[in-house]
Amino acid sequence: MTTLIALDGITKVLKGQEQPRTILDGVGLTVDAGQSVAIVGRSGSGKSTLLSVIGLFDRPDQGSYQLDGQEIARLPERRAAKLRSSHFGFVFQRFFLLKHLTAAQNVAMALVNGQGWLPRRQRRTRVLEALDQVGIAHLAKSRPTKMSGGEQQRVAIARALVRDPKVLLADEPTGALDTETGTLVIDALLAATERGCGLILVTHDRDHAARMGRIHDLVDGVLTERVAVR
Amino acid sequence: MRRLSGRFRSSLIIGLQGIRARKLRTLLSMISLFLGVLAVVVVQAGASIAERALLADLEITQGYDGTRVMDMPMEQASTDMLAATVHGRSDAVAMMGVSGIVGEPGVLPVNPGAAPLDQDWGPAMVCNDVGCEPAPGVKGQAVEVRLTALSGDVRKFRPFRTVTGQWLDFSKVPAMSPKLVLNRAAADAFNQYRVPAEMRVGGAAANVTPQFVGVVDDGDMQPRAYVRLDELTTWLPTSRMADPMTGGEMRLLMSPGSPVEPVVVSKLKALGNEPYVYTVESRKDQEKQLTLMRLVFFSMAGLVLLIGVAGILNVGLATVGERVEEFALRRAVGTPRSLLAGIVLAETLLTGLLTAAAAIGAAAAGLKVVTMLVGNSQPILSDVQFPWEAGIAGIIAGLVAGVLGGFIPALRAAGIPIATVMRA
Repeated sequence: MTTLIALDGITKVLKGQEQPRTILDGVGLTVDAGQSVAIVGRSGSGKSTLLSVIGLFDRPDQGSYQLDGQEIARLPERRAAKLRSSHFGFVFQRFFLLKHLTAAQNVAMALVNGQGWLPRRQRRTRVLEALDQVGIAHLAKSRPTKMSGGEQQRVAIARALVRDPKVLLADEPTGALDTETGTLVIDALLAATERGCGLILVTHDRDHAARMGRIHDLVDGVLTERVAVR
Repeated sequence: MRRLSGRFRSSLIIGLQGIRARKLRTLLSMISLFLGVLAVVVVQAGASIAERALLADLEITQGYDGTRVMDMPMEQASTDMLAATVHGRSDAVAMMGVSGIVGEPGVLPVNPGAAPLDQDWGPAMVCNDVGCEPAPGVKGQAVEVRLTALSGDVRKFRPFRTVTGQWLDFSKVPAMSPKLVLNRAAADAFNQYRVPAEMRVGGAAANVTPQFVGVVDDGDMQPRAYVRLDELTTWLPTSRMADPMTGGEMRLLMSPGSPVEPVVVSKLKALGNEPYVYTVESRKDQEKQLTLMRLVFFSMAGLVLLIGVAGILNVGLATVGERVEEFALRRAVGTPRSLLAGIVLAETLLTGLLTAAAAIGAAAAGLKVVTMLVGNSQPILSDVQFPWEAGIAGIIAGLVAGVLGGFIPALRAAGIPIATVMRA
């Protein structure tokens, strides 16, 4: 197994308040290709901050972050944007689909991001493949306002998958969905891991977490592996 | 280069999507900007039309820019030399002027001294070596004109506008009865005093009956008639043209680099005269005046444009505020900050360009309507075309407004923290 992500001693301190607050305290985590990891914890425990650091939205104050064996903890923003485009796919609790665009155009947003240029025909092919992977290719021309919550989240997953990311980062992707629809969304995310994509899922849902390869608890900024389920 | 091209295309595609998604906002931006761009286009069009009109008048009276002009001393030897030197040449034309009275025989002209009809330059005078005294006789149906004899077609240097009839034909053999082309002032005078009669020129062998063949606009307020030099010299010796008592004038117009100039200069020097030669530079002479005029009008247009920029800036900031999540999401999927700024700038630039197109179209249509309505009464507006400079100015104004109005929203969009999507 190839190690995709290796965090060691990641610390993040929230400044700008009367007393600085440690959000992440020496976090260590490894994720291999095709592996799925669930991160669970109470609200405010630092789950989203950890995902921000992993997704290069934010930088750690201390610690080492290796992606594909390269140290990237102190990466300039321009290179970080490039890595976000080439290595990561993001799925959020809210779907963040643009209402004025069709499903296909929303997915294509990840391809029209200034990181290389794909001709229109190739873009179209890849967008339809991504929508097909999550089972909604027939909705390519539909606008988000005409779709159900589950369909919208699957469009968001297709957007995350369209660039063939190495790691999928999902921040409570089922939080706004009913149980049945949430299960379908987790199915779609796990299907990606079968193609070699790593998955980090932040969730409150024990059932969804139980479907992941590993579960980590984040308590007061400290990450601990709970049990190896599979 | 390829990366830049990809970013440029990406920003254009996303910018167009943004415009299509927010048509009403785009329209509001365009409305606020429209008056500003229109002001710039109108000012530039007005300045260009005024400049052309001004230069056109200067070209008629002084000649095209670059024309070499030589003012000649009034001497018989010079007159003979000049007539012989420029004979048959097209790169140099001699203009020799004398006074002529056309109309009822034996009477004094209604405008002594070839004065404009609405001006009184005093009584007709007779001058000789001793002095001048009032001419005997009474005023009658006769008009005094400045008679300008031409050795060739002077319109190559001074583009007289034909009002009616035709210009002098230098390709035919000279007629015994001189053909005259009048200027507007002379034509107006002969409209009031219609006496088909003789033309009297001091020192002529006989009073001849002239033929009026056309009227031109030469920009001169004084009644003037143009005649072929070879037709006039059939009746009038060149020595009389050089007679200062007849108010003679002599000028040579030449193309730049004409070989006639050094020849005439040498000959004049041999005759003991120092010629005065200069180059017509109407545009340069008027540049200061035109620049000042432009500066004043552009300052006003700039103020109006600034108000338009404030409008587009206001709408742009509001739009970025509404699209915080979109921009944060775009950053999350790898869009660099520079492209986010590019998207906003592309939208405002496209809006500016659309507005410029609308303003240019409106200005061109307006000019067409004005030309149709008042073109006949306002010569400056007859046959006037929409100046391309105004179109360019409009496009530049639209682009500048787009950049100014979009700059701050673009910075704000580029600075939206990516974690916005995580906290939503």
